[in-house]
Amino acid sequence: MTRGHDALRLLARRSKSSTSTTPPLCLTCLSTLHARLTHTQASPLETAPIEPSPSGRAPPALTSTTSPSTRYLLKASILLSRPPLLTRPLTPFEKSHFLYQKRLNERLVLPFTRYFYYQRGTPEEAEWKRKMKERKTPARDIGVYNAYGEEGWNDEVLVGERIGEPEEQVEALLRDAEKEGREGADPEGAVVKREVVERPMPRVTEADRVGDLRSLNRKLERTLYLVVKGGEGLMGEEAGWRFPTALLEKSRQESLHTAAERIIVQTGGVNMNTWVVGNMPIVHNVYNYKHPVVNKQHGFELRGEKVFFMKARILAGQANLTNNKFGYEDFQWLSKEELQNTFSARDWNAVKTILPER
Amino acid sequence: MLQAAPWRRKSYQCLYSTRKTSTFNGMTELSEDVVPESSLQVPGPSEEHIQRFNPIARSKRRRSQLPPSRYQFRPPRYYRGPLHPHQPPPPSSPASRLFVPGPFSLPRLEQTYHSTLAPDLLTLMYTHHPPGTLPGPSGPRLRSWDGSSPYHKNRPLRAPRGSPVLPLLRRPITFKNIPRLEKIHVHSFLKDAGVDMQYLHVAGMVLQAITNARAKVFKAKHSIANFHLRKGNPCAVVEVVMPRIKEYKGVSGRSGDSSGDIGWGFSPEIVGAFPEVEINYDAYPPRMIPGIDIVCCTTATNDKDARLLLSSMGVPFYGKHIN
Repeated sequence: MTRGHDALRLLARRSKSSTSTTPPLCLTCLSTLHARLTHTQASPLETAPIEPSPSGRAPPALTSTTSPSTRYLLKASILLSRPPLLTRPLTPFEKSHFLYQKRLNERLVLPFTRYFYYQRGTPEEAEWKRKMKERKTPARDIGVYNAYGEEGWNDEVLVGERIGEPEEQVEALLRDAEKEGREGADPEGAVVKREVVERPMPRVTEADRVGDLRSLNRKLERTLYLVVKGGEGLMGEEAGWRFPTALLEKSRQESLHTAAERIIVQTGGVNMNTWVVGNMPIVHNVYNYKHPVVNKQHGFELRGEKVFFMKARILAGQANLTNNKFGYEDFQWLSKEELQNTFSARDWNAVKTILPER
Repeated sequence: MLQAAPWRRKSYQCLYSTRKTSTFNGMTELSEDVVPESSLQVPGPSEEHIQRFNPIARSKRRRSQLPPSRYQFRPPRYYRGPLHPHQPPPPSSPASRLFVPGPFSLPRLEQTYHSTLAPDLLTLMYTHHPPGTLPGPSGPRLRSWDGSSPYHKNRPLRAPRGSPVLPLLRRPITFKNIPRLEKIHVHSFLKDAGVDMQYLHVAGMVLQAITNARAKVFKAKHSIANFHLRKGNPCAVVEVVMPRIKEYKGVSGRSGDSSGDIGWGFSPEIVGAFPEVEINYDAYPPRMIPGIDIVCCTTATNDKDARLLLSSMGVPFYGKHIN
């Protein structure tokens, strides 16, 4: 116990007392203040490392005790997510900026070394000449633009032109990749398309169009989170949509990450290839009962519930709730905005800061 | 000064009192300091103006063209000091001689890093200290002299035991310092370049095709030369080249300089499998394609974190991991 600790306790006592005029301080502020106090006031000898209490090092107890008579139920909640599979759509500014930089690059770089890539007199060279005549530049996705010509300065896109749009650029690349040739190697033969290039898959899937919230093939550029409905809610309330949550198993002295793996399997079945990211929770939340439950037989008071959120990723498979152990009735894969609309305000505030933007 | 100008203090007090009494109500409150009109509120060009706008036709209508000296700024070839009237523009200006265009796209790897990899790495590397239990100061990194000799007085502290190099500190990882890929060196050592300069040109073209950056020649003693580049995209390496290597074990777990830089090499056959080289493989003399070394420099300060970052991007590692 150091002098800093004394100051901390004093501050805590002051902030708790109702007669004090100063507003009460939260635990984080207290610890910051404590760090400052030890940093500025105490001499170097007195700033001995503050050892975490031995109870913090012990294997996690199944009911945490703040005092011998106070207990909390410990629960693990699973943030099972599917990472984004596609890049995000570009903003209009990014589109026009990238096109501007590409055209600027065409004006500034040395000319394309044609004979390094296309041998003289080969069909590839003839094909190259034909395409070059059409688009006037080696770049395939910046429209018809002659960077070295008299009008090279005219590199700005006019209002309403769609050259900078990614869809338009994909079209241009496809048009360019399709080779033309004469039928039967005859210079006078009819022109045929020799090579038909496969089109890329659409960014909007069938599940997006139908609005299938259970599919993992929806919102490919967003992170999706598994939420379930039914079962026992927090603090004995009626359960709405929320993350899969369950009590730690008391009999097995279960750690959080083994509990996370167990809850995933007991919720969604074995047909999911998942990975629990790390052994530590990413956030925890404390819910206090309005009226603590007093257990006179064992002499303790149940104050509420502590929920630890464990992060997990789904790599393959799909959830199947048919044999789940927690009485869940339905599941959905939702993005961050949809979570905000689906969750209660309390549940949303618990997790809103830890969800990434996409 | 302030006393000599009483109007100044008076106006300050007046402003303070109005601010304090008023409650925030949107633009009326802001309008004391901020002009409410914005250029964003101006309507765009009319339909008729859009139809009429044709820069080429307008330039053709001019009877005489302006000379380039009237509209084009030519930066000086040499920097002649800060007092010279002809100053070069900053390198970000397209008029500068040092200007490099770009970026041309938002790379997929960068987006994946920000959306997926960085949050996961933070989860894996974060060490939580509960409030009130801050980690104590670590021990001294340099050893002191024991004072057994009078010559120990005023000597600088001794280096750590075992090596003269002080290893980098690993700061606690928070959202501000998640390790990221900083740059990639691509390097090729050409021992035959002293005999035949052709090797140098071929290696330069290969590296330029792969990395999209011009290779620099570093001349060493005895006419040995090697190449250095500082640009690249590991996407193609991880997703195209590495899976093609036959019986590929991965990158050795012993690789690394113990300060967060991991390197590995590719033999000439594997360099030939890069899609940028393969597309016109005939253009390179087959015996002259060089083997290359790739060094991934990360902002991690130890090899363990750097390896975690690279393996999250898909680089496989094998064997015992040495940190």
